[in-house]
Amino acid sequence: MDTFVNLLTNGIATGMAIFLLAVGLSIVFGLMSVLNFAHGAVFMWGAYVGAWVFGYTGSFALALISAILAGAIMGVVLERTTISKVYGNHILQMLLTVGLMLVLSELLKVLWGPNILPSPTPKFLEGSWDFGGIILIKYRLFTILVGAVVALGVYLLLTRTRLGIIVRAGVENPEMVQALGIDIKRVFTMVFALGSGLAALGGAMMGPLGGAISPAMGLDNQLLAFIVVVIGGLGSFVGSLVGALLVGLTGALVSWFVPEAALAVNVLLMAVILLLKPTGLFGGGSV
Amino acid sequence: MRGRLGYVLLGIILILAVVLPFLTDSRATLNLFTRIFILAIFAMSYDILLGYTGIVSFGHALFFGSGAYIIGLLLKNAGPGLVNVLAGLVVAMVFGLVVALLIGVLSLRVRDTYFAMITLAFGELFFIAALKLRAFTGGEDGFSFRIPELLRDRVGFYYLALLALIVVGGMLRTFLSSPTGKVLQAIRENERRAQAVGYDVFRYKLFSTAVAGVTASLAGVLYGLQERFVSTSVLSVEKTFDALIMTIIGGSGTLYGAIVGSALVTLVHEWFSGLARLSPIFERWLILFGIVYILIVLFFPGGLVRAFTYLTQRKGLPSARRTDAL
Repeated sequence: MDTFVNLLTNGIATGMAIFLLAVGLSIVFGLMSVLNFAHGAVFMWGAYVGAWVFGYTGSFALALISAILAGAIMGVVLERTTISKVYGNHILQMLLTVGLMLVLSELLKVLWGPNILPSPTPKFLEGSWDFGGIILIKYRLFTILVGAVVALGVYLLLTRTRLGIIVRAGVENPEMVQALGIDIKRVFTMVFALGSGLAALGGAMMGPLGGAISPAMGLDNQLLAFIVVVIGGLGSFVGSLVGALLVGLTGALVSWFVPEAALAVNVLLMAVILLLKPTGLFGGGSV
Repeated sequence: MRGRLGYVLLGIILILAVVLPFLTDSRATLNLFTRIFILAIFAMSYDILLGYTGIVSFGHALFFGSGAYIIGLLLKNAGPGLVNVLAGLVVAMVFGLVVALLIGVLSLRVRDTYFAMITLAFGELFFIAALKLRAFTGGEDGFSFRIPELLRDRVGFYYLALLALIVVGGMLRTFLSSPTGKVLQAIRENERRAQAVGYDVFRYKLFSTAVAGVTASLAGVLYGLQERFVSTSVLSVEKTFDALIMTIIGGSGTLYGAIVGSALVTLVHEWFSGLARLSPIFERWLILFGIVYILIVLFFPGGLVRAFTYLTQRKGLPSARRTDAL
């Protein structure tokens, strides 16, 4: 029982961090049809900025906020200077964002070195709570809580605000939105900033979850995020959430029994869903 | 490479390549150029996909790496005989064919972005498999193996690699100017129009990935033979990026551009590796190539315009989404 609860919380917590990464990827694709391969690099930068600020100031809240800010700024700069130049061409977008990913990863190695660094958990989240024999690690619950709050926030933003309506309308039909007199370019930039900020937050949360950060975590988690959006359906908010939890849980459960096969099972899951329903579980345009 | 000047240039380069072993005694130089030839084959196979069919793969190292692993495992376990080399070559190419078809069937039916994601996933899967099947592959450290006496001579192997490059280059050139090759380029230019004309786009794309996969496996076999050593780096996504960067910098959709790209990237990489002794900043040589690569993708009017002329037809707002949707 203990092991099972442990695996469950670990899976959900990892799933939440991946959700933060995948949701931006998915919405940016839905709205702008850009598949951003640099998204994982922003996630990684979030992890490093978070750990670095935390190391300097000792404040975890400040670390998370700076990670979000760093991510959002990167998102705006990348979108404005490069990605907006290739809107409408899938191949150039992929080629470009892969190049950005490469440069961002190398730049990160210049600043922090190519080796694994520790990413400590803040004092007040160390250890675990004991609920009548069931031991729950504090930081995992915290990650799940943050993930749930952000998921709810993004959901409300998409369904209850003016920006959300514009974004959803933009996913359906960008020309129509523009014809209604809305500056969709500004919306693009804002969504990009939001998605990148969330990815960076995901990275900053993921760091202490594994205890260490490395320049490989960008691509590794990006891959998981891709699997998530393929499973859930590109452009779908609910799909990202369900897909991320599925991938997180599968990863945690499988790696308990056969550590080597975690990624293989996730790729297999993706392959099966592609065969049965190529648009993903929740694909088809709805947010 | 059109016109008389192109042929003259090609001839001069070819003659230089043939006489190089007489000009230098340095084994390092010969090894370097052998590697350039082999990576050029790899990059050309990537250009078939990117430059001639207009599909992006981020798992191309899978074919290259499995080629190297197959020849390595075979020679290590069955002994360094010439027959084993030939058997390894056949097995590697068949393996490349089967895997390419498998991935193609899974991902080519969906929109183009999916192929990129799924090839990345399969590439990583193979990488992790090689990493974790330690008993079999030696894990991260890899393993070394012996090759037949005949292939051990560096000059001889240099000529073998050069010959392979010429033969493969010639075959791919013939393939691309065949009716099938023309259809691939039609798909690159305008997929929907090719479909409307009546071509089975999915089948042609599948064929293209198969040709690219088999060619990359061949390059991997040669690479394994040259290094006489295999480790997981041959399967890493960085190897795919090597091919991508070589193709883009050399000019995608030109085939010969891959050779130029291979030479440029390999030489500069070598040069920076030497400089890395002075300052560790030079270990980050990929930044330079990354930036050049981004600038070419964004601005270079030459190779890219030729390869992606359909950009001009679609320029503007992302209206492509609707038209590309399932």
